[in-house]
Order: sequence, then C-alpha cells, then structure tokens
Amino acid sequence: MTNPSGSRTIMVVGGGISGITAAVEAAEAGFDVVLIEKTPTLGGRVAQMNRYFPKLCHPTCGLEINYQRIKKSKRISVYTMSTVAKVAGKTGGYTVTVKTKPRHVKPNCTACGDCAKVAETEVANPFNYGMNTVKAAYLPHGMAFPMRYVVDPSVAGTPEGEAIKAACTVGAVDLDQTEDSFDLQVGAIVWATGWRPYPAANLTAYRWSDLPNVVTNVEMERLASVDGPTKGKIVRPSDGAAPKTVALIQCAGSRDLNHLGYCSRICCLASMKHAAYVREQYADAQVDVYYIDLRAHDKLESFVQRLKRDPQVAFIKSKPSRIEAGENGNPVVCGENTLTREIYAKPYDLVVLATGMQPSVAEGEMPDLGGVDEYGFIFAEGEDISAGVAAGPLDVSMSVQSATAAACKAIRAVTTAH
Amino acid sequence: MTERKTGVYLCSGCGIGASVDMSKLETIAKTEFKLEPKSHACLCNDDGVGLIKGDIDGGVNQVVVAACSSRVMVDRFAFEPVMTLRADLREKTTWSHPAGDEDTQMLAEDYLRMALASAPKVKAPEPWVDGDYSQRIMVLGGGVTGLTAAAQAAALGHEVLLVERSDRLGGRALEASKRLPHTPPYAQPQDNDIESLLAAVKASPHVSVKMNAVVTRTAGMPGKFAVTFADESIEHVGAIIIATGWRPYDATKLGHLGYGASPKVVTNVQMEGMLKTGSVSAKAVAFIQCAGSRDPDHLPYCSSVCCATSLKQALELIEKDPGTSCYVIYEEMRTPGVAEELYRTAQKAGVIFIKGKVKGVGADLTVTVADELVGQEVPLKGLDLVVLATGMVPNSTNPDAEASDKGPEQLIGDVDPEAPIKVAGYAGEAPADYTKRAQCTPEGGPLLNLQYRQGPHLPVLHDGFADSHYICFPYETRRTGIYTAGPVRRPMDWSEAAEDAQGAVLKAVQAVRSASAGAALHPRVGDLGYPKINLNQCTKCRRCTVECPFGAIDEDEKEYPQVNPTRCRRCGTCMGACPVRTISFDNYSVEFLTSQIKTVKIPDEFSGKPRLLLIACENDAIPALDQAAIKRHTWSAHVRVLPVRCLGSVSLLCISDALSVGYDGVMLMGCKPGDDYQCHFVKGSAMAAERLSKVGETLKSMMLEPERVVQVEASIADSDRLPTVIDDFVAQITKIGFNPFKGF
Amino acid sequence: MSASPTPTGAYDLAFARWVYANVDGGDRMALCMQCGTCSGSCPIGAQMDHGPRKLFMMIRAGLKDQVLASDTIWNCVSCYNCVVRCPRKVPVTYILHDLATVALREGNAAAKASDNARFGSAFWWSAAKYGRTDERLVTAKYYWSFGLGGFIKRGMANQKIAMGMVKTKRMHIGMPHKVKGTGELAKILAKAAEIEARNHG
Repeated sequence: MTNPSGSRTIMVVGGGISGITAAVEAAEAGFDVVLIEKTPTLGGRVAQMNRYFPKLCHPTCGLEINYQRIKKSKRISVYTMSTVAKVAGKTGGYTVTVKTKPRHVKPNCTACGDCAKVAETEVANPFNYGMNTVKAAYLPHGMAFPMRYVVDPSVAGTPEGEAIKAACTVGAVDLDQTEDSFDLQVGAIVWATGWRPYPAANLTAYRWSDLPNVVTNVEMERLASVDGPTKGKIVRPSDGAAPKTVALIQCAGSRDLNHLGYCSRICCLASMKHAAYVREQYADAQVDVYYIDLRAHDKLESFVQRLKRDPQVAFIKSKPSRIEAGENGNPVVCGENTLTREIYAKPYDLVVLATGMQPSVAEGEMPDLGGVDEYGFIFAEGEDISAGVAAGPLDVSMSVQSATAAACKAIRAVTTAH
Repeated sequence: MTERKTGVYLCSGCGIGASVDMSKLETIAKTEFKLEPKSHACLCNDDGVGLIKGDIDGGVNQVVVAACSSRVMVDRFAFEPVMTLRADLREKTTWSHPAGDEDTQMLAEDYLRMALASAPKVKAPEPWVDGDYSQRIMVLGGGVTGLTAAAQAAALGHEVLLVERSDRLGGRALEASKRLPHTPPYAQPQDNDIESLLAAVKASPHVSVKMNAVVTRTAGMPGKFAVTFADESIEHVGAIIIATGWRPYDATKLGHLGYGASPKVVTNVQMEGMLKTGSVSAKAVAFIQCAGSRDPDHLPYCSSVCCATSLKQALELIEKDPGTSCYVIYEEMRTPGVAEELYRTAQKAGVIFIKGKVKGVGADLTVTVADELVGQEVPLKGLDLVVLATGMVPNSTNPDAEASDKGPEQLIGDVDPEAPIKVAGYAGEAPADYTKRAQCTPEGGPLLNLQYRQGPHLPVLHDGFADSHYICFPYETRRTGIYTAGPVRRPMDWSEAAEDAQGAVLKAVQAVRSASAGAALHPRVGDLGYPKINLNQCTKCRRCTVECPFGAIDEDEKEYPQVNPTRCRRCGTCMGACPVRTISFDNYSVEFLTSQIKTVKIPDEFSGKPRLLLIACENDAIPALDQAAIKRHTWSAHVRVLPVRCLGSVSLLCISDALSVGYDGVMLMGCKPGDDYQCHFVKGSAMAAERLSKVGETLKSMMLEPERVVQVEASIADSDRLPTVIDDFVAQITKIGFNPFKGF
Repeated sequence: MSASPTPTGAYDLAFARWVYANVDGGDRMALCMQCGTCSGSCPIGAQMDHGPRKLFMMIRAGLKDQVLASDTIWNCVSCYNCVVRCPRKVPVTYILHDLATVALREGNAAAKASDNARFGSAFWWSAAKYGRTDERLVTAKYYWSFGLGGFIKRGMANQKIAMGMVKTKRMHIGMPHKVKGTGELAKILAKAAEIEARNHG
C-alpha cells in the first residue's frame, strides 16, 4: 500500500476534456498533478466545438467549471505549449523529459491586449482550423485558459516584434524565448492525448481540397460557433450565402479500410447536431443525412428521433460515392440510395463531411508506448494508462468517464508501486 | 473570533487607471467605509501580491481586490485561509464602458462599494465537522461492476462492504458464455474471465461481503450513512456505489416476435446460457435485433450491446459448426468504435445481415422480413432457432423490494429528451411534439430506501437509467456521495462497466475524504461553507426541503428543516427559497447580496440616470459577460452586475430590496431551465423562474409595472448577444419610466 | 468445376457459399456492408438493372436465377472506381466478370442472349484467332450471333457508320491484320486455360 521511494505525482499528458478531468479528479482525491498540454490553452478539441449532443449545450460551460476547479486547486501545475519527448523508468519512478515551445509571453501577462493593438501581421488562426486569421499577438480565444496571450514566432526579430514588446506595460513579452526541455519526476502517467480530425484531403472523391462548399464536421462546429470565423452564422464559405440545402455525409473516412477501419462513434450524433444548427438558423433549409447505419447508442437514440420528426430533415441510406463540382459553387453529391436503388446526383449549397477521429498517436509525435493497438489507440486494458479518445473513439461523456477511471488507476499506481 | 481587518487593494493596470479616477475610488474606501486602500499599477505581479501578503502577515484577515474579474488571477489572489473578495474594475467596467466617462466612473465606484459593503457580511467559513466519519465504501451489487469497484476501492486503501442480493457473487457474467472483444485486435469473442475477478475480490482482506442481502433503509449522509438490512443489521459507510446492473427486458411482452409460442424462440440471455453449457444445436439461426429496444411500445432507447452480442453468439455457433447458417435481422448495425472489427469478422465467417423489419415469426419458426435492401418481403424458412436480441432494463429499482408509495415518477420527467429542436421561423409549431413518450422506470421498490425528505429513490432519467444529466460530469448524481456505475447508469458491456466502476470508485473516495473535512464536492469543490438555519425565525414553510436539488435538507420530528451538510453542494437554492432569510452560509447569504444591492448610489430621477440590477449566474452568464468585455463589446453603464452562485440562490427579498431602494429594473440572468436544462445545480434557474412567476402580483400591489423584473436565459456562448439584451432592457425600463420609490 | 447449387428458398445460402468459394474475389464479397458506394460510383450504374451492391445482397438472398440473368454482370466497364472506393475492399469488378463467366458456363439463357455476352464472344474470337481485334470481323461475328435476319438488320442500320469508319481509316477492308506468331499465342492461351481449369476445377 505504500510507495516510500517513488514519486506520488501524477502526470497527465493532454489538456483536453479528458486530461483536464483526469487532472482535477486526481487532484481532488489528494494527489499532485502535472498537466502537459501541447497548445497554448487547455480545452483541446471540445473547446473548438460549438455545442454538445444531445443537450445542445455549450462545451465552455463545463470547461468553465473545470477551469475554476483547476484555479482553486493547489495541486495542479499546468504546462502549456509542452509535449513529452522522452519517458524513462517505470511506475512509481518515471523521469519524463518535457519539451516546451516558446510562447514569447511570460506568465506575468495580464491579458490586457495592448500587444495585439500594435501587431499587424495576420497568421492562420488554429482555433478556427485556419478558416480565418489572427494578429501575430493574440489571445487564442475568449475562454482561453490560461488567460495569456501568445506571440507568433514569425514576428520575433522584426520591428513589429519590438513594437509588440514595447507595447506590453508589464514586460511580459519575451521574444528571445527558445525551445526548452526539462525533466520531471512522476509516479504515473495518464495519456490523454486525444485525437485529430481524419484529414479530409485523403478523401479525394469528396473534393474537400478543391470545393470550398465542402467542409468537415469540425469546420462546421466553427462555422456555427459565436467565436468562429463567421460569428456563428452558418454560411457557404465560397460566397457567404445562407445555405438552403445541406448534405451531411456520414462515415467520411470511418468504417473504411482505405482510411479508418473503425467506427468513430461520435459522427452520427455530431451530424444530428449539425442538422439542428442548420434548422435553428434557417426555417426554409432542407437537410439530408447520408448514412450507412445510424449509430446512436443508449439514450442518444432519442436525439436521432428528435431530428427524424423534423419534416425538413431527410435520412438517405447511402454512402455517397463521390462529390462533383456543380453550378454556382454547389457541390453535387452522387451515389446510390440503397433502399430505392435510385442513382442520385443532387446539388447542395453546403456539404458537411462527418470525418472521423484519429488518435494522436497516429501522428507519430509520441514516445513509444506499450499497449497501443494497430490504429494507435492506447487501449484501456493495456500497460499504459489512457483516458478519453487516446483510449478509443469515445464521446465526451464516455471520455470523462474514462478519464475518471484513469485517475483512479493512476492513484492506484502511485500508491501501490514499489 | 478575532477582529476583522480588511485590506483594500486597487489596481490601475490593464487600462483601469486610464479609464477611471482612482483617487475618487480611494476616497470612497476612506470616507464611506473607513478603510485605508492601497493602489498598485499591476496588482497581480509579484510586487503587488507581495504587498498583500505583507499586510496579511501584519494582521489583515480579509482582502478586497478591486482589479479584474473574479474569474481570472484566482491563484494570484488566493490567500487562504484569508478570504478574498473581488470588485471587477476591468472586464465589467473598463473594458466594456467608455474611458473617462462620468457613468463609467460611477460604475467603478459602485462596484468598489459592493465589494466593501459585503465584506463585513462574510467570513472565511468554518467547516462542519462532527465526530466520526466512515471511510468505508459500500458497493451494492456483486456483478462485474460491483466486483471491480470493490477490488479497486480496496486497492486504494478503503474498507469495502460488498452487498449482493443473491446467494453468489458474479452476477450475469456467471451465466454468460464468452466476452465481447476488449483487447486488440478486437476481432474475436474472448474468454469469460469472471473467475479471476472473483478470486481477486475474495483475496482482498479489505472487502467484506454480505450475501442474500436486501437494504431496507438508508439514512444519513456522505461520511455517515447508516444502512439497515432485512436481517436488521446496520452498517455504517461513508459513500455508496450502486452497481446493481440490469435485467433483461421482459420477453413475454414480445409475443409478436414469437416469444412464448415456441421453445425455439429464445432471448439473447437464454442463448448465452445455452452457449455456455454447450446445449445449443442448430443449423440455421436467426437473430432478431432491437427486440423491444428502440421501440416506443417497449424501450425507446438503444440497449447498445445487443448488436455486438448477437455477432458474438453467431460466431460462437459458427466456431462450433462452420456449417451453421446465421442471420442477423437488423434496422441499424451498431458496432461503434473498434467493435467494427467484430462485425467484419462475423461477415467473413459468413453471417448474413438482413436489413428490415420483422413482420412476424410463425409457429414453424418462419421469420417474415421486409427485406429493404433487396426490396421484397421474404419468408426465412428452415430455421431451428430464433434468438431475440432483447434489451437491457436498468436495475435502478430493486425488483424484489416492495414498491414505495412514493413512486419513482417524482424523480423523472424533468428532461424531455425528445423535445422538438428549436427551429428558426416557426419554433414551437413544427415539428410536432412527440406524443408517445415511454416512461421506463422499471418495476420494483427503491434500491436503498433513502430516508430523505425527497423520497426513497435514486433519481433516474427518462429512460429509467440512474445516470447524470450532464455530459461533462457523468458521475454527478442528485444524491451526493451515492454514485452509479455499470449498466444501471447506461447500457454498457462488461469492459465498459469495469472502467465505469473505477471512475465511480474515485468519486466515492473523494466523497468520503471530503465529507470528513467538511468540504464540498463538485462543482464548488472544497467550499467549507454550509447552510445554517436560524430556527427561531423559521416558519416551517418547507420550501427549502422541497426545493433543494440534492435532497440535502430533511424535516425533523417537529417539522423544522434539518440540514445534512455533507449532502449539500452549496448552491444556495435553500437560501433563495426561504421567505424570511433564515438560511445563510458563512461565505454567502441574503445579507451578503442585499448589502451589495443597497450600497449602490441611486441617482434621483432628475439625473436622467436609471439604475438597473443584473443578477447573474457566475457559471455561465458572468463568463459570457467577461468574454463580451474581452471583445470590448459595450453595454449600458446604468447596469450593476451582481454575480450569484446560482439563480436558485436569489431570494425574492433581493428583488424587493432592490425595488424599494430605487432601482428601476431587475434582470435575472441564468442558465437554461426545463428541457435540456443547463443549470449545474439542476433546477436553480427553474426555481428562480418559478419564484419570479409569482412576483408580478406583488409588484402590481406596489403599483409597479411587472415588466420591471425579468428573467433571461443566457448561455456561456452568448457574449455577442448579451450586451444587446441588457441594452434593450435598459431601453424598455427607460420607456416605462423611473421607479416611483426612488428616494422614498 | 462443379455447377453452382440452386437455392431452395429465400436466404438458402447454398449459392452464396458457392460464390464465396468459387468466384474470383467472392471471399471478400462476404464483407460487403451494403453501403452503395459501388453502384453509386459506377459510370453506368443507372443503366444496370440491380447494380453490384444489390446483386451481392441477392446472392445472399438466394436469388441465383435473377443474379445470373442480371445485366449488371455484363455491363461493368472495368473502370475500377468501385474497387478503389469500396470501404471494405471488395474487388467488385473481378466478381462481376467472374459471375458473367459462371452465367455463361451454366448456360443461363438471359446471359447467353445478352448483348455484351455476344459481343464479348465475338471479341474473344478475333483476339484469340488473330492476336488483335478487327472491327469489321468482330462486328460481323457479333451481328451474326443474332441469326441471318439480325445480321442483315443490324448491318443495314449501321452501314453509314461503317462507311464513315472506313473513310477515316478506323476500319479497314481486306485481309484481317494479324500479330506475328499466332502459334505462340495459341500456346499461351492454352496454358491460360489450363491454369484457369486448375484454379476453378
């Protein structure tokens, strides 16, 4: 029951909803936690979602509570812009090498925004998947935690960079910051490294790369989000027009041996959400959902039923074979309706691809881990402790459940390791 | 108690100093509150924080920071046990109002007054600690979930009481054949390893097991539960994990699928048993999916595991005899995640999938299917076994226990999962309401027979599962210290249930540890305040006992409210409910709020400056306003924002006080109530709306227009909308005219 | 090779299992999840009576006669769009072509009467005999398969096209062009037939 020599600190890698949950749950049980996050802010993919299914509530609401829990906890240390470069040792006594990228802004930043006023260069906004730009000195978003600015490395060593530095009255801008690395001693590691959207460019038949009015589901979230590139108005990227017909294409990459062999679980329900977004904004819009099997487990079934009762939402059992360029920038969705045998070629104002989730391990940015399956999931019963989508394609509620279990496992590891 | 010594610190950084006259603020602190303020150009830097720390060392025991929003720099301005109050001169003043403006200056002054006036009304809370607390965890149910929970809780160093209703541990896993795949490559059924789990639990010295046990009553609260059993023994535990699992849907209700007419029509549960004992011999087998699930006449939800279970059973049959013909008749194949591997394995093995509705099962086992993919109705003949993939019914009640006269209906129905989506243009008209809404509360009596004012049952959702309504907080039940795990919470398979058990264990561990420290659990984690009731003033109206979202307040034999502090989540709904301000927390009270309301300087009607009070929920409305300020949106400087823990904590006394001191209008801003509620205290905003609905008559009797008091729904993503909402309200009130009670 | 069994009723799997075991790519056909990508990808999907997706389901449903009589198996143009896109990597093209062979071998009347079977046979006759296809002879052979009346009717109807082709040197008049070494070709083809017989025997 004791761990006299080893560290009782728990490291959580990844600051999305799963990592945040694992961190606060472990801390609130009385353990010190180090939370490592790759980007400048916590929140991960859920912070980029407009709303959650099936309640259509906003992810930032739960994040706010979790951030308050972190702020009030004395046990959680957060390292942003950091990744794990190396892991040595074993349970109870790990030495983890953490690599940190320069934020060019020190912790004494008060988020006053004076730096952004003098910045001129526009850089692609990662928060909006590059759908718009931000100033080279920017707050990642209004709910950013930590609430600190970032200065893009591109202005370091330029007169603009000096102006940004001079604008900061508290001296928080540091253009000389460089990549850094340091070692931490921890007793257990929870991998909550999450996922990335499967690259839509790989789905060549769906023409995401060259047809502007074909977007992915994660882009749709940003289009519908008040902090998105269109301030929450769902419009066609090509001309800013309100879409009257929208196609939602399921299994864009998932359940496909050429892409992702597994089902990503969340996309069907995310598309139900998107149908709701469109219908809430446009009374005259028609939404067509193309699917192989509608997968809505447990009570989420009632969310599908909600949409099925909307006469302007249609369900077409078909995996579209391709998308073609039509008139007026309209993508034309082509395929076979498997219930009617109709071969269709239907133009839409907007097409949303329900791209799947790919574990971050698949990106090859992680140290070698045990217990990783062929897809890159660090499966729940393997040697390493994982949480959320790092462990498998899970929805938010299941991820939080998984993360709470991961915190339990980590505590067990640090208290019983010898 | 030592004498209160309040330190006041004004920050002029982040544009505050350039926007408002700091010296006037200093004067207010000195002249109106007799306090010596200290100003600093950047209070959150080491120098500023050092200044405060130095004063604390010098005897300051309460800190007022007039700087940024209370949501930021929380760690910098945390000086526990010294309490910090915040006045927001940045987000809600400088960033959202024009600099150097007279009205902005008045706003800043009022925010400082609000903090200073409320400071004497609160103190750092003293926790409720009362004698012995049990660190023991009770696990109800000895199946996979319960066994896993018991083993894990024991491994974390807690004594565990494992309670099983039957005469053996192992639950449904004992009758199951193989397991669904749970480790890579996830392609084949895996061995049933319940024996190793049983062995682990039996080997643990920390787990004591109570067999054939039925709970007859559960009294107390986290840290102090007293559980009585049918044998009249009483056990004391600190937290409870409900792992009662599931029961199969009653197949006798599935006569239309042939159940009962032939012994060759069996349920998937029976099939498991047949596969386990090897007593199945069939050359042609049809599996009928969604037998009872996803059917408004039976179970409206998807039971989640039946698809994969049928695949597994078919594969077991084929493994035994490769010549077996297996047909799975389905509406949607649901093999989410890596379970897709099992689907492919079954296809490779030759299992045939027919999408369509079953029209009937004949006496000769002919299954008639409307085959949607071929487009014809086909009779499936020559079958020698039909397996109905029946769904899971949660054991959120005890089928053996007598039904309580207080039915579980009282605990469902607060959420309509099938409420129509709000549609632009014709919200409320189309699509039509769902009329056939199944009520799925399973038959039986209460699991724990909770001796709570609000009834003996564990709250369940519309589908009968004892799950949380929150997506981000799946373990947040409405009964503090009691956690559900496994299929009683959500339909799930063995592996998921084992994971779920571990999550519930952690929550139970937190519950027992927090209870003994007198500290709150989620969402106000660590808050040491708790409701104190001045019984001398209590009118026994029972509003607090009825309205508490967590059932924390019971009634004693004299019908006075009795707080169970460790059940309390510190939302303050009781305080808002009480008509005579008898309920308060050390760090939150009606006085704390009204002192802020009353300290605001109300200009007379000739000034042309109305004053409006915006009472805003600190979880969603306040962050939304902060975000609006970060974007430098502006709103009327005539509005004073008063953050509250939850709209549920807002007493009508706050509103009447505001109107009687001359505010021209009051707006309550909080989370979405009703269907899909988003209030993190379950029904705080709903209770506020309920209370407010009764305020109109009172206003009329005071000769005031009911439009002066409104409640608006705000979400955390409303940063672009709220400034307009506020300004519209100001315009509306200006139209109505000034409050006649001004200066009265 | 044994002839395919005839199912006795709906979803009698005898034929489906035979297809899985004997048709080129048939084992992967079991993985078809009926998504419709193949039929939707097909450039002439709208002209097919069933399309590959439904045809595969019909095989499972035991509709052998309709399957072998289907024009789907004859209309595949081997563009391989379906094969490339199939999420279950089913080699649709191979399966369709081999099913066509099965249909002919088993003497399915509709198969034998199909345009593409006739044309295919004429094409093969020319290719095997001369090592290349001679438009004039292939066409003539194809028309002849409809009998004398059919031959004349089709010949007259297409006379103008034929003349145009001759004019633009797309079709020549005179002795058929041949590859060198037709004897070698015959040996290659005989060997191929032998291998096929061994694989499908």
